[in-house]
Amino acid sequence: MQKPHKLNSFIGLIVPWTFWFSMVLVWELACQWGEIPEYILPAPSVIWQAFLDVEFSRWLGHLWATLRVAFLGFIISVAVSIPLAIIMMRSVLIKRILYPFLVVIQSTPVVAVAPLIIVLLGTEDSSRILITCLITFFPVVVSTTTGMLDTPEELIELSRSLQAPRYRETWQIRMPYALPHIFSGFRVAITLAIIGAVVAEFVAAEEGLGYFIQFSTSFFKIPQAFAGLIFLACVSLLLFKSIQWIQAWWFPWSMPSEN
Amino acid sequence: MLLKVCKVIAIFIFLHIPAVSAKQPIVFQLDWLPGGDKSPVYVAIQQGFFEQAGFQVKVLTGRGSTDSITRVASGQAQFGFADIGSLMAAKAQGEVLAQAVLPYFTQAPHAFYILEESKLTNISQLAGKRIATSPFTSSNGFLPLVLEENGLHASQIQLIKANNGALGPMLLMKKVDAIIAWTTNTALYQDQARSAGKKIRVMPWSEKGLSLYSSSLIASEKLINTDPEMVQRFSEAFAKAIKFAYENPAQAARNVHDLVPEVDPEVAQGQVESSYNLVFNLVTERDGFGKYTKDRLNTTWQYVSKANELSVDALDPATVVPDFSLSEKRTQGQ
Repeated sequence: MQKPHKLNSFIGLIVPWTFWFSMVLVWELACQWGEIPEYILPAPSVIWQAFLDVEFSRWLGHLWATLRVAFLGFIISVAVSIPLAIIMMRSVLIKRILYPFLVVIQSTPVVAVAPLIIVLLGTEDSSRILITCLITFFPVVVSTTTGMLDTPEELIELSRSLQAPRYRETWQIRMPYALPHIFSGFRVAITLAIIGAVVAEFVAAEEGLGYFIQFSTSFFKIPQAFAGLIFLACVSLLLFKSIQWIQAWWFPWSMPSEN
Repeated sequence: MLLKVCKVIAIFIFLHIPAVSAKQPIVFQLDWLPGGDKSPVYVAIQQGFFEQAGFQVKVLTGRGSTDSITRVASGQAQFGFADIGSLMAAKAQGEVLAQAVLPYFTQAPHAFYILEESKLTNISQLAGKRIATSPFTSSNGFLPLVLEENGLHASQIQLIKANNGALGPMLLMKKVDAIIAWTTNTALYQDQARSAGKKIRVMPWSEKGLSLYSSSLIASEKLINTDPEMVQRFSEAFAKAIKFAYENPAQAARNVHDLVPEVDPEVAQGQVESSYNLVFNLVTERDGFGKYTKDRLNTTWQYVSKANELSVDALDPATVVPDFSLSEKRTQGQ
């Protein structure tokens, strides 16, 4: 019974990598044989060279600037969203008051309000963190509220019949049930946090990967802009996976089963 | 003994604290990202012109003239770069607490870029042609005016709006017949064209009838009113840096690169050289360097008010600059 499982996991690992490697190869060959100009679509080898041409310490400086804002924005939005979701779950009236407001905030294009936030809060990290929070908090609030409301009714009735206090009902019954939803929200939010930080850097920043990409584009350094973009995508992917690893490490029972 | 030690410490503090605090901290707001055309501010820092004048300057990048004007007017920065036309338009529409204190570009940088192989030689031949421009450039407002100066109406061209980074490739791939861009980027566009085995030609609007002030050093109006001497001192240091930068483009480019490593010194040098005619030209020969004239401010406002569809009476253009920045002094009641 062990052999097929090992084979499956080997295939499961090799096929995606082969697929992505083939895509990069096709891209490289298309650029070289199709003579696609560098300013339209640079070849992966050119992008890699552009990545190496920038000193690693500069990459780290820009990465740190973006991650600092993204992390702080993400942490603050989680710190605000979860208590907000608990309040909304506990009171239908508050939910009816707040929910439309939250939807309005979420549906307002952050790009449009970002310059106003910069004028109000200045060009320091605080304005960029607020922009990131505005983008990230919504999925966490919605997923946490949905998860807590999804708790089986019989468990809630049981806890009430045992006269458990409301906080225990929330923390020991609803929250564990909501964890898969909460982590789904976190996974969406962490990638949005990177987008939020980059949007904020497009509006006002002196460093960061978004700033670097904008800078490269304005100087027509397209391979360098692509290098920044791919680096950013890799960071996003890594953060997305990190949330999965944290969930698997701390709450393995809450992981969705994989077929 | 203790008394002696206290005296020594007191003397040390007396001598050193004022020396540190003597440098006035200044936030300088750029109107775009750093580059060769913004080199004077970096030159002034690196060559010590600001330090000699008693300033410690921090430079912030910006995202357009409106952004820069807003931050200077709101007090987030004391000085900045901005297009004087944008400042005029803003002041004509509301109270904006900023003034232009030193002309930097005495000619506007707007231009058409065409392929060298193209048969187009003047603006009047653009009728029926496809022209690409970026959506938010101030050039768009002046386009109908320069077309008019050359006997065309805006409806006679096909204007396509595209991201700034896409303009060069669109021209090189002949998706459009011409693009609108600033002459400060001539070196960048030429580099891009060279990589495609092509050459480009520039048609500056300033040579085709559109002659006006453009990029300027702006200052917070509050600062101008409370400490005009300090503003003048800063302007003088800045003027010195402009002259240095354009006399020594390679050094200016290195100064930018030293403070902003992302900027290639070669590219920055190209930008400085591309911008030379905007800074030193017939206007500066005639009117002198570093001062505004009422006549040219009036001409600039005529163009700006038309481009922004504002009433000419909405603003007295001379009020956009403080008295000390005018080449001729204001008379009573003006």
